[in-house]
Amino acid sequence: MKRKLIAFVVAAIFSVLLAGSAMAEEINAYMGTSPDNNAKIAQFIKDKTGITVNQTFQSFGEIEARMKAEAPNFNADMTIGCGSSTGFLAKKSGWTVPYVSPAWKGVPEVFLDPQGNWYNFSNFSFVLVGNKDRLAKAGYAMPTSWKDLLDPKWKGEILMPSPLSSGTANQMRFSFLALYGDDEGWKFLEALDKNIAYYTRSGNAPTDLVGRGEFMLGLTSDENVKKRLDDGYPLIWTIPKEGTGYDGTFALILKGTKKLDACKKIIDLLGTPEFSELMAAIGYVTPRPAPNALYGKTLPKYIKLDLGKASDDKAKNNDIWKQKLRTDFK
Amino acid sequence: MTTKGVTGDMDRKENEKPMLILKDIHKFYGNNEVLKGVSLEVRRGELVTFVGPSGCGKTTLLRLIGGFTDISAGDIILDGQRINDLPPNLRDTRICFQNYALFPHMTVAENVGYGLKINKWPKDKTAARVRELLEMVELDTFGDRMIDKLSGGQQQRVAFARALSLEPKVLLLDEPLSNLDANLRLVMREEIRKLQERLHITTVFVTHDQFEAMAISDRLVVMKDGLIEQVGTPIEIYERPANEFIAGFVGYVNFMEGRIESIDETTCNTVVNTEYGRLEITLEQDDVKTGDDVLMVIRPESVSLSLDCGDKSQNVLCGALKSYMYAGSIAKCTVTIGDRTMIIDQYNPRDAQQFQHADRVEVEIPRSVHLLKKK
Amino acid sequence: MATVELSLKLQASSGSKIKDFLNANLINILAAFLFLLLAFFLLYPIIAVLLKSFRGPSGFTLQYYQNFFSKNYYYQSLYNTLLLGVINTVVCLVIGFCLAYMTTRGPWILRKPLKIISLVPLIAPPYLFALSLIILFGRNGLITKMFDLHWQLYGFGGVVISQTLAFIPLAYMMIENTLMSLNPNLEESAYDMGASEATILRTITIPLLAPGLLKAALLIFVMTIAEFGNAAILGGRTPFLAPDTYTMITGESDFNMGSVLSVVMIAPCILIFFIHNYLLEGKQFTTIGGKPVASEPRKITPLIQVPFMIITTVAAGAIFVCFAVVFAASFYKILGVTHNIVLSNYLDFTSNQAIYNSIRVSFVAAVIGAIIGVLLAYVIVRGKFFGRTFIEMVSLSGFALPGTVLGIGYLLAFSAPPLKLTGGIMILALNCVFRFLAVGVEAGISKLHQIHIEIEEASADLGASFLTTFYKIVLPIMFPAFIAGFIYTFMTAIVSLSAVVFLVSPGFDLAAVKIFDAAVYGEIGIASATTMKLVLIVMICMLILNFISNKTRLGSSMKKSAAV
Repeated sequence: MKRKLIAFVVAAIFSVLLAGSAMAEEINAYMGTSPDNNAKIAQFIKDKTGITVNQTFQSFGEIEARMKAEAPNFNADMTIGCGSSTGFLAKKSGWTVPYVSPAWKGVPEVFLDPQGNWYNFSNFSFVLVGNKDRLAKAGYAMPTSWKDLLDPKWKGEILMPSPLSSGTANQMRFSFLALYGDDEGWKFLEALDKNIAYYTRSGNAPTDLVGRGEFMLGLTSDENVKKRLDDGYPLIWTIPKEGTGYDGTFALILKGTKKLDACKKIIDLLGTPEFSELMAAIGYVTPRPAPNALYGKTLPKYIKLDLGKASDDKAKNNDIWKQKLRTDFK
Repeated sequence: MTTKGVTGDMDRKENEKPMLILKDIHKFYGNNEVLKGVSLEVRRGELVTFVGPSGCGKTTLLRLIGGFTDISAGDIILDGQRINDLPPNLRDTRICFQNYALFPHMTVAENVGYGLKINKWPKDKTAARVRELLEMVELDTFGDRMIDKLSGGQQQRVAFARALSLEPKVLLLDEPLSNLDANLRLVMREEIRKLQERLHITTVFVTHDQFEAMAISDRLVVMKDGLIEQVGTPIEIYERPANEFIAGFVGYVNFMEGRIESIDETTCNTVVNTEYGRLEITLEQDDVKTGDDVLMVIRPESVSLSLDCGDKSQNVLCGALKSYMYAGSIAKCTVTIGDRTMIIDQYNPRDAQQFQHADRVEVEIPRSVHLLKKK
Repeated sequence: MATVELSLKLQASSGSKIKDFLNANLINILAAFLFLLLAFFLLYPIIAVLLKSFRGPSGFTLQYYQNFFSKNYYYQSLYNTLLLGVINTVVCLVIGFCLAYMTTRGPWILRKPLKIISLVPLIAPPYLFALSLIILFGRNGLITKMFDLHWQLYGFGGVVISQTLAFIPLAYMMIENTLMSLNPNLEESAYDMGASEATILRTITIPLLAPGLLKAALLIFVMTIAEFGNAAILGGRTPFLAPDTYTMITGESDFNMGSVLSVVMIAPCILIFFIHNYLLEGKQFTTIGGKPVASEPRKITPLIQVPFMIITTVAAGAIFVCFAVVFAASFYKILGVTHNIVLSNYLDFTSNQAIYNSIRVSFVAAVIGAIIGVLLAYVIVRGKFFGRTFIEMVSLSGFALPGTVLGIGYLLAFSAPPLKLTGGIMILALNCVFRFLAVGVEAGISKLHQIHIEIEEASADLGASFLTTFYKIVLPIMFPAFIAGFIYTFMTAIVSLSAVVFLVSPGFDLAAVKIFDAAVYGEIGIASATTMKLVLIVMICMLILNFISNKTRLGSSMKKSAAV
C-alpha cells in the first residue's frame, strides 16, 4: 500500500515537473548583451508590449554558432542582440523574416537593412580599461595609444577576449587589421600577444577581472563599463588616440516563428526614441540620438570599418589567429 | 609432526598454570555495558566454549581476547603476561571468523602461508609448513586453488589451518560451523575436536548452539546479558544447572515446584512435597536444606512411562497422554498431570502401538533429580 | 518468502495463448525495446559525432583529422588534457582513499563530520572551486594580497587544484562504498596473523579494493577531462580539449573540428574502459557471508595515521574553506571591492527559475534513468538472448563517455526534424538519463547477482506471470539499486555542465549553466548566491529522498528481502 502511495506521489511530481507552464504571450529569443542588459531589455519589452521574452545569455559568438547549428529549425523566435557578422550571415542564408518597420523611419542607414532583415538597435565599441589601484601601486599611467600596450612592462597584465568565442574580440581584431593594414595588423596582434595574460571567453569579462584587480589592463567591450563604474569598481577607461572599432547589436526575426506579430511589435518597439534612451543610458550609441551615459555628448572616434568584410573574413582570420597566436605554448 | 603444542616434558607446575585469565572484564559501547564483569581461567590444552543466546556478549568477549576491541576495565592475562594493550598482531592468539575471512585474492597455500610470510619465515620453511598444515586438514592437493573454488567445509579447514600456522597459544573460534549444513557441521566439529586434542592447543570456541557446545567442549561458559551464568563441564551444566535459565538453555526441562520435607543425612534420601504428592529422591547436592522451596529439574528423557495405571507406587504419577509422536529411535510424548503438561522422551520406545492408543499413562519420576533453590 | 508465495498463489493464472506467448517472451520484448532506446539515445549521438568528424562539404574526408594532427596547439591541448586527467585521477584516488579509510576505519568521532565535508561538494557545481580559488589566490585574491604573493593561478596548476577538489567527493563516494562492502574480518584476520597496518593495506585492503579503485579511476578520469568549467575559468592560456571543444562548437561553430576534438577526447576514455573491463575479468571477489558492517575503530599506527590525517585534514579543510568563501561571497555585491553585506544576489529571479528548471530536469531524468537502469540490469542478468553482453557493454559505457561529447552528439543528432528534440526539457532530461545510466545499471546487476534465480522460478512455479513475478519479487529486491540510480542521476545531473551547456535553450536555462555564465562573466556574487541556493535546495531534496527511501525500505521491500 505504502509503495503504491509513493509511486503515486512520484508520478504526480513527475507530471507536474514535465508539464510546461503556459503564459499569456511569450517568445523565445537569443540575447547576446550582458545578463543585466538582457534583463533590462526584456523588462522594457514586457512593460511596453506585455510580451514575455524567454532568453538565454550567450555571447555573440555563441549565438552565431547556435544559429548555424540549428538552421533552419530555430529554437527561438528572434535574436535580440547579435553581432553584425551574424546579421549579415542570417540575411545571406535566408534565416530571417524580412519586415520593414514603420517605427524605424528616419533612422540612419547604418542601423537598418533596407529590406528589413536586420535592425541594429545600438552600436557598441571596445575600450581600454585599467585598474586604478593596481596602476597607482605600480606607478604606471594609462596608455594613450594602442601601441603603448606593447611595452614589456605590461607583460602578463593585459586581458583581452578571445575572438574564437567573443564577437567583441572579433571586432577588436578586425579593427586593428583595418587600422594598421593586414600585415602590420597581424604583427601588432602578435606583439600584443606577448603581453596578454590570457584571452577570456566573454567580451565583457576583462572589465570585471580588471575591475577586481586581477589584472591591470583590459581590452573590453564598452557595454558594461558604465555599470561597473557605478558598482564601485576602481576602474578607469579610455579610448586610445587611434580610435576604436564598433559593431552593431542586431535584432532579427527568425524563420519558422509562429509568433510573427509579437516579433513585429518588438521590432517596432526597438525603433522608438524611448528604447534608444534606455540603451544610451547603459552606454550604447543608439539609432535615435540620446544622451550617452558613458561617452556623454562627444561620441568616440571610430576606426573606419567595413562590417561586411569583417563578417566575411572571420573564419579566415580565426585560422590565422590560431596559427600565429596559439603556437607559443610549449 | 613437530608441533610445539604437544607438552610432553613440560614440568607439572608450569602445566597447571592457566593459559588464559580474564579478570573482571567490563566493556562499554557508549553507555551500553555489554560485559558486566567477567572472570574466567582457561587451562592449557583445554577447549572452552562460550555459549549463550545472541546478544549475551560472547562474541565481544572473544574479540576482546583477540585484541580487536578495546577493553573498558579488567585484565586479560595470556600465559602470565598482561596483554590488555597489545594489538592483535602482537598477541599470541589467532582467530577464525564465522565467515572464515579467507583472502579471496590468494590461493589456498597463500592464505595458509600468509602469517608465515608476514613473520618473515624463510621460503622453504614456509612451504614445508604450509604443506604440513594442508596435510593436517586433508587439503594437501588443494594448495593452488583459489578460495572461491572451494566448498564451505574446505574453506573452513583452510581457515583453521591458517589460524594454526603460527602455533598460537590460544586459538579463538567464532561460530566456525554456523555456515555449514547440518551434516557437515557434525563431521567438522568432530574433526576440530580431534585436531585440538592432538595438538593440545588451548581453544576458545564461541557458539550459540548449546548442543554443539556440549559435544565439543571440555568446559562450557554459559553467558547471558554480559555475565557468566555458569562454568562447568557439559555434564555439570546439563545435570546440575545453576539456575532455571541454564537448565532450560541446554535442553528441554520439566520444572516441578515443591518443598523439601526431610533429608536423611546418611542415605541422602530426600522427600519433596509437590502439588502431586510426595516424591522421594536421592539428594546429590548440598545447597538445599529442609524447608527450602525448590524447583525439581526433570529432563524429558529421565522420566519413564508405562501403560498400567493402577498401582500407585513411589514416585509414580498418573496422567493423561495428550500426544505420542513416534519417530523410530525416540517417541515424544506430552502428558498432562493435573493442570500441568510434561514433555517426556521415550528412547528406544517399545509397545509404541499400545501407547498410540492409550489415554492414561503412568509417569515415574527418577530418584536422581537436580533441585534448584527458589529465590 | 512465505507471505510472497501465498499472495502469488492467490493470483489465479489464467492464460490465453497470446498471454502465454507474451509471458514467455516478455523479457526479450523488453530487451529489444531497451536496446532501441540505447541505440537511439546513446549510440546514435556518438555515431553522429563520429560521422560528422569525417564528413566534409563533399562527402568523406580525413581533412579534419589531418588538420588536428598537423597543428601544434591541438597536440598541446591533448597533452594537457591527458596529463590533467592522469594527475587528477591519481591525486583524487589517494585523497579519496585516505578520506574513505578514515571514515570507515578511523575514530568514531571523525567519521560523520569528515563524511559530510567530503560529500557536500557533490551537490555543488564543480567549478565552485575555481570561483573560490580566484577569490582566495587570484592575482588580487584575499590571501595573495595578505601575504603579497606572486604566483600564477591561471594555468595548469590552478586547473589541477580546482578539478582535484571538485572530484574528491566522487572518488570518496566510490571508494567508501567499496571499503564499506569489504568484510572487516578480512583485515582483522590479517592483523591477527601478525600483519601491521601498513602490511594489511598493502597485501589485503588495496588488492581487494582494486576493482573499485579502478572503476573510480575511470569515472574520475572521464569526468575530469570532460567537465570544463574549471578549465574555462582558470585555464588562462593553457589549452584543454574540453573547453577547446566548447569554443569550437559554440564560438567558431565548426562542428567538424568540434567532432574531431570529441573523438580525440573519447578515444582515451574508451581505451581505459576496455582496459578496465579486461583487468576486471574474473576478478570480482566474492566474500562469504560478509554483510556490510561498520568496522570497529582500531588503533591506527602513527605510520598510517599521521600521513592520512594530514592528507584528510588538508583536503577536508580546503573543501570547507572553499565553501565558506563562496558562502561569504554570496553576500557581497563584489567581494573585495564593496564592503557592505547585501541580499540582492539571493533575490535574483532569473537564477531561481534556472534552479527550478535544474531540479525539474534532474528529477525527471532520475526517475526515467532509475527505471531504465533497473530494467536494463534485469534483462542483462536474466535474459538469454543474443547480444546480451553487447547491451551490457553499451549501458555501462556511460562511465567512459565524456559529457561534452554526448552533449555535442545530442546537438548533432536531435536538432533537425524528424528527430527534433532540442529546446525544452526532454532533451536535457534524456541526455542526463543516458549519460548517468551506468551507475543504476551496475547497482542493479550486482543486486540481482545476490539473489538466486530460484526465487523467481519458485514464483513462476506458483503460477505467477512474468509481470507479477517482476513486480512482486524482482522490484522490491532491486529497490536499493533503483534508489542508487536515482540519487546518482539526480545529483550529477543537477551540477554537471559539460553536456547540458550545449542543449539549453532560450527560456530554459539550467542552474549549472547559469552559474557558469555568471562566473565567466565575473558576476561572482550572483554565481555564489545561486550556488548556495542550489546546494541548499538539493540538500533538502536529498533529505526528503532519504526519508522516503528509508520509509519504504523499512516498509515492504526490506521485509521481503530479509525473508528471502
